[in-house]
Amino acid sequence: MKASHQTALLGLCIIALAGIALLFWLPNDTVSGFVQSRRGRLSIGDAMAPGLAFGLMALSGLLILLKAREACTALVTRHDVIFVLGLLGLVAVSFTLMRYSGPVLAGLFADGGDYRALRDTTPWKHLGFVFGGGGMVAALISWMERRVTLRAVLIGFAAAIALILVFDAGFDDLLLPPNGDV
Amino acid sequence: MTETLDYILMGIMAVLTGPELFSLFGMAIPAAPVMLVLGVFTGIAVGATPGLAGPMAMAISLPILISIFGFTPDALLPVFGFLIGIMKGSTLGGAVPAILFNLPGTPDAMMTTLDGHPMAQAGEPKRALRIAQLSSVAGDTFSDIVLFVCAPFLAIMVEQWLDLPEKTALLILSISFVAAVMGGSPGKGLLSVSLGLIVAFIASGEDLSPRLTLGIPALRDGFPMLSAVLGILIVGEIFAAIDNERRGIAQRADSGERTSDHDGLRKGDVRRILPFIRRGALIGTIVGALPGVGSTLAATLSYSLAERRHRKTAGADDVAFGKGAPEGIAATEAANSAVSGANLIPVLSLGIPGNAAAVFLILAADSIGGFNPGPAVFKFTAAINPELVTVFGIFFLMVLGNLVNWTLGGSFMRSMGVLSRVPARYLLPVVLLVTLTAIYVQETSMFPLWTTVGFGVLGYLFRRMAIPVLPFVIAYILAGPIERSAREAFAASGADPWFLLKSPLAVVFLVMSVAALVLLSRQKQSA
Repeated sequence: MKASHQTALLGLCIIALAGIALLFWLPNDTVSGFVQSRRGRLSIGDAMAPGLAFGLMALSGLLILLKAREACTALVTRHDVIFVLGLLGLVAVSFTLMRYSGPVLAGLFADGGDYRALRDTTPWKHLGFVFGGGGMVAALISWMERRVTLRAVLIGFAAAIALILVFDAGFDDLLLPPNGDV
Repeated sequence: MTETLDYILMGIMAVLTGPELFSLFGMAIPAAPVMLVLGVFTGIAVGATPGLAGPMAMAISLPILISIFGFTPDALLPVFGFLIGIMKGSTLGGAVPAILFNLPGTPDAMMTTLDGHPMAQAGEPKRALRIAQLSSVAGDTFSDIVLFVCAPFLAIMVEQWLDLPEKTALLILSISFVAAVMGGSPGKGLLSVSLGLIVAFIASGEDLSPRLTLGIPALRDGFPMLSAVLGILIVGEIFAAIDNERRGIAQRADSGERTSDHDGLRKGDVRRILPFIRRGALIGTIVGALPGVGSTLAATLSYSLAERRHRKTAGADDVAFGKGAPEGIAATEAANSAVSGANLIPVLSLGIPGNAAAVFLILAADSIGGFNPGPAVFKFTAAINPELVTVFGIFFLMVLGNLVNWTLGGSFMRSMGVLSRVPARYLLPVVLLVTLTAIYVQETSMFPLWTTVGFGVLGYLFRRMAIPVLPFVIAYILAGPIERSAREAFAASGADPWFLLKSPLAVVFLVMSVAALVLLSRQKQSA
């Protein structure tokens, strides 16, 4: 798609989104209107500020639309979309590992198998962070280098262990992921 | 006058006799000065590492600092000490990779490469680094002095002359100025501002039922501030840098450094660069006092003016700009460092953040509590005003920071050349993990990590579409104050719908808001 067409489309999308928000989201998701009356006195309601912000958004869309002809570089390329999808996939896998590897491994190998009872016990409480966090670092390095190397894996796990030493050994009251959620 | 001196003394004492960090030979070592020194060294190291930047280090360290010092007013000065240290150190450290490897550690150090690297290649890296240090610290010191003098007067003027409608109009002016001045077009700046406002308005407001939550229970308290600000500002930057690394378009170090026997500051160098430092510091201070304009513009403006002047006055033996002229390094470094002090003028006197570093100072104040940057902090009251004591404490910390930069900063920055060689592809994922961990220890839930990644993706897309991210953050921070002051002004006017147009000064501010958008838009069109 030509850069000018892409910019015009962006402007139109922004105007449309602002319009939908003003017509449907704002009236249905705020209790008071633009102005409300309390004990006989008028005051600004909760819809006023977001309403103006959506109006500003529509104006920005209009300005982008009006300048669309001058656009000479594409806003978002196919590469950018693929990058974002890849990145989100990688982060989603890492967060899933972070959240569930501790409980799953505890269920398989710990006596009793209840992660909640073990979430203050080393090494169980660190498993999710090491696998999820260290794995995320290793995966991102490998993604940038376009190959998996032992160095990337070592850096990932070293970073996770260093953070465990800083946050967990340094402070009694801090919880590393995912121990606040389980 | 005596009252002011008393407050200055109280500020100094608050720094020197504040909470104890540790005890040495039975003597209590106060936390704030130690944190400041650590912050300066961290800042220099961060500035010297390509791919990292001062705001990134401030973002990562803020949750850690709050975990260490807690949420009491006693935490304010040690936390500010570290953050101010990073701010000052990183402006100095940014020159190291620019000079040694033709690789600007920070965006504003780009112009330093033009003369700094040729000088290093000519066998005088130490001379280039010394000139950069002198100019950078001189510019920073000058702008700090302007801050100490101007901020209190500006705040007092604002308190005396501006009522609620004028304050509301001033806040509107500041965000429209930022929207107009940053990014490729005012349309994109306005888009960034409007999205920042909308995100801030989610789940805020005065009704018992939170607004705009789409019925999602996790949004009942809105997006965590750390998640939104760090996501768009830091994580978005990391994502963009990861993409650049993947594409192979990241900057690579040019390791053409040689050393000669007579490397070091030459006789007459200081006299030669002094006029350029003076002019650069002045340009940096003026630019820095305007919200959102930034140090890159200050450095570019100062460099081009200095080049013009140098062409007129240079002798036959003088090195030309772009070939390793000491005047070029001085003009750039003085200007970009002067921005950092002046940036605190709108923060402390008006509560308006002008750059990313200032955003984190406001975030720190907001998270800890007990200090609300804005005109009210400069009130001289009958009882001691603790906020004013904190302000003078901050000023004293800035003076100490400059002293550290003047004395130890030079040798420390010269030893940091090795960091410039650490590949960004190893650093970026580690910084991402540190950022996410720092957010989790504050929020103790996976939901803010997801929202941080979401804002990171938004920040990445903003960067790809040339939509500026700073207006989003500034609007996000100012959304609450604007709405609050508009509500109060409306109520005080007896529900007059024209309350913003009743005061001539408010009208002037509003006209200036529109003028900024229209005029700067035309200027960008013709550029």
